[in-house]
Amino acid sequence: MGRTLPSITQTFLQEQQSLARFRRALRLDDQRALDDLLAASRHHLAEAAYASHLLPFEIMLLAMLVEEHKQVLRLREELETLRWDARSLSTSSPRPASGGQTGRGQEHSKP
Amino acid sequence: MTELSGRPLAIASPSNKPTLYGWLFDAYPSGTGMAVWLIDADGQAHMFHDDFTPVFYVRGPRQDLHDLCQMLRARREPVELDRTERIDLFLDHPVEVLRVGVRSPGLLPRLFRQVADFNPYLTYYDADIPLPQRYVLTRQVFPLAHCAVEHEAGQIRHIQALDTPWEIDYRLPPLRVMAMRLGGELRNPARGHRGDLLVQIEGEEYPFKREHGRELVLGIRHLLERHDPDVLVTAYGDSYLLPRLLELSRHYGISLPLNRDPDQAIAHKPARSYFSYGRIVFSDEQHLLFGRWHVDRQNAFLGDDYGLDGALEIARLSGLPVQTVARVSTGTGISAMQVSTAWRRGVLVPWQKRQPESLKTGLDLLAADKGGLVYAPLMGLHEHVAELDFTAMYPSIMVHFNLSPETVGAKCCEGVPVPELGTPVCNHRQGLVPETLAPLLEKRNQYKARIRELPEDDPRKEIFRRRYSAHKWLLVTCFGYLGYKNARFGRIEAHEAVTAYGREVLLRAKELVEARGFRVLHLYVDGLWIDKPGASQRPNYEALLDEIRAQTGLQIGLEGVYRWLAFLPSRVEARVPVANRYFGTFEDGSTKVRGIEARRHDTPNFVRETQLGMLAILAEGQGVAGFRAAVPAAIEYAARQLHRLRSGQVPVRELLVTHRLSRQPDEYIARTVAARVALELTQAGVSLSPGEKLRFLLVPGPEKARAWELIQGEIPYDRQAYLQLFIRAIESLLAPVGVDQSTLETWLLGQTSYWGPVGVLPPPGTDGRWPLLANARPVGAEHSLLATSAFREIQRECFALTRQAA
Repeated sequence: MGRTLPSITQTFLQEQQSLARFRRALRLDDQRALDDLLAASRHHLAEAAYASHLLPFEIMLLAMLVEEHKQVLRLREELETLRWDARSLSTSSPRPASGGQTGRGQEHSKP
Repeated sequence: MTELSGRPLAIASPSNKPTLYGWLFDAYPSGTGMAVWLIDADGQAHMFHDDFTPVFYVRGPRQDLHDLCQMLRARREPVELDRTERIDLFLDHPVEVLRVGVRSPGLLPRLFRQVADFNPYLTYYDADIPLPQRYVLTRQVFPLAHCAVEHEAGQIRHIQALDTPWEIDYRLPPLRVMAMRLGGELRNPARGHRGDLLVQIEGEEYPFKREHGRELVLGIRHLLERHDPDVLVTAYGDSYLLPRLLELSRHYGISLPLNRDPDQAIAHKPARSYFSYGRIVFSDEQHLLFGRWHVDRQNAFLGDDYGLDGALEIARLSGLPVQTVARVSTGTGISAMQVSTAWRRGVLVPWQKRQPESLKTGLDLLAADKGGLVYAPLMGLHEHVAELDFTAMYPSIMVHFNLSPETVGAKCCEGVPVPELGTPVCNHRQGLVPETLAPLLEKRNQYKARIRELPEDDPRKEIFRRRYSAHKWLLVTCFGYLGYKNARFGRIEAHEAVTAYGREVLLRAKELVEARGFRVLHLYVDGLWIDKPGASQRPNYEALLDEIRAQTGLQIGLEGVYRWLAFLPSRVEARVPVANRYFGTFEDGSTKVRGIEARRHDTPNFVRETQLGMLAILAEGQGVAGFRAAVPAAIEYAARQLHRLRSGQVPVRELLVTHRLSRQPDEYIARTVAARVALELTQAGVSLSPGEKLRFLLVPGPEKARAWELIQGEIPYDRQAYLQLFIRAIESLLAPVGVDQSTLETWLLGQTSYWGPVGVLPPPGTDGRWPLLANARPVGAEHSLLATSAFREIQRECFALTRQAA
């Protein structure tokens, strides 16, 4: 509406469309992984719009990395918890109440 | 008296002429001036004449202006011509202009068209301000102003307003209202609905049989003469009742005094369809009266939201006649208010603004061509979330940062640069838009405070709420008009500056909120959704709000703290959240719903009622656990509603689907449901235009849908189609706790459940695709996978490997 440039969502959809042939050629499992990455970058469209970067795909890639790194951090935290559990089981000491991977009072809808 | 823009009239010296006190009710051109109607404290209407010469101005090369004068003189037009100096808003200095005064106000529109056709390349000012608005501006009065009028032989000698448009608790004249509608259900007569005419006045209802046309016209005439109503409130009066009454009056040769002024003919404006904000809008034909108002409730813009009280408030503020305000969008109101400000400043109002967008580089455009910040929220169900909203953010930004078409990019001073863009904004004189908005924001705040103070049973509370709502709509449209190239005071650079400040302010608030240890769940243009452990009450946020106010200079309020709040995923891509699809319950038990079926205009009432009913049950839950615990009761309610639906007990009226026609009925290529209904209506002789709303019932069989206007009584509906809409609406509510369509179908249609009684949710963390596996695995820390002997075996091996590696 009255805009000269395409909106960030339109830009995202164009970039996604430009990957259509690449996606098609991927194996089914890899296609799913790619879809996950694209969905991850969609979480940061507002930030990408604010950035006004000349090459929005670079920002999309960074957004994917941000989400991937968050996932790495979450898994690392979980691994630490499991390690602690494992150690405490072997020494039979009680486990401290540590934060899990989900936020307080928050439930995610089914994937 | 002659119109002199911007110059206050001298107050007349006390004289012995008779003075009438009353409210300014109507003003329109008549002969050499205006016919002015006033209503006194006893409800008596009085008509006066006031000599009035409206003026427009022309700027251009001297020779062209000379030719124009010659042309007007040669045609012997009733005009006064002279040269003068006036200030152009965008040039900010006086310019020499030709002043054209029209001695017969009613001729101004035609005369101006002639002049503009004669030389379209000249710059014209003050040319298309509606005559009633010019009149009130010149006389320094306003519609419904309480006035003192000195008069002599029906002529106004002096008129003076005794109150101002900025009063909060003002008195209005006692108005006699005559209501008119067709009998039976409220359906559009233009689509074939017929019924007897019902007329209500002063507590009495008079039915008139439609088959007795002559008695009907005589009866209406009698009522008009006996009661002399001030306002005619109709349902479908514009498109059907008034044209039909006029037709009958002509047919029987019986005059019908619908107008109070017998010398005027009823004004008719044809229907039109236009494109606005990405959709087609239909505006029906209009029938306007003189000396009396005609308000058609079915042809009023947003009439339900602010009603007649709000329309009267907009008329008082904008100077536009009530009949106009009741039919146009609030954008016209705010535009008229800006014209008034310019007029009071003595600044010329351009006819066709020549302010094209300034040249920008690609990078500038990339930075500037953006809207407000719309984040992707953290999906799922949350508890104790606070919603903070900036109060009237964009208008407040315009006022606080002095953003106006003539101040943004001004070269008169160094100015203050706009964040992100760097465009300078003049800071040595107040802009026209801020000057218009500042008192409006102030008045709105006062109404807000009064609404809060007044006890529930005070009748003023509802009136104030409607006026407050009218202000809200005026403020909402003022931002759009700033970016509209055809708006008189629109300029894209000012519009871009507003959104740039909006982003800056929101990000500053975000940074502050995070610095104070809150988590940001969502940001949406002027709102923030945040949480923090232990912050579940209003007082926990007071200090934060004060800090944001101090940092940003704008007013921000706490909309409320939610007991629980759900941000929903996209319907197309479940992994992606949607910015404006959420629902939640505040601490006081009230709910807020956005983007789900209950808010959509096309949702049938029955589905809306079911969704809101379930929401009311879920609202009882205090937090996430409470929400989960309330699910069985909500499902039980849904099952009862479903039984009504499946057994065919739901009335047709409750199942109507609404659709807006996006093109002419014959332009539809695909045979969609809406296309079928449009075709059915067209075949029944109804003429439809793009933008009109269709209401229809989904029916079984090949015809799929039927137009509501053509249904008589109760007929069978398509239970399967409504079942789908029903399940979809419930899924929106329960998706945040992992209930999908197939689970709902198992619960509601199969009456079974994996987890005990229907509606009981599986334990948290259960994989929806393999829910029964959770049963196979004992739940609880002491029995967890970690405690099994097999796992200990793996652990031991891991430790051994780690030690070896070390």
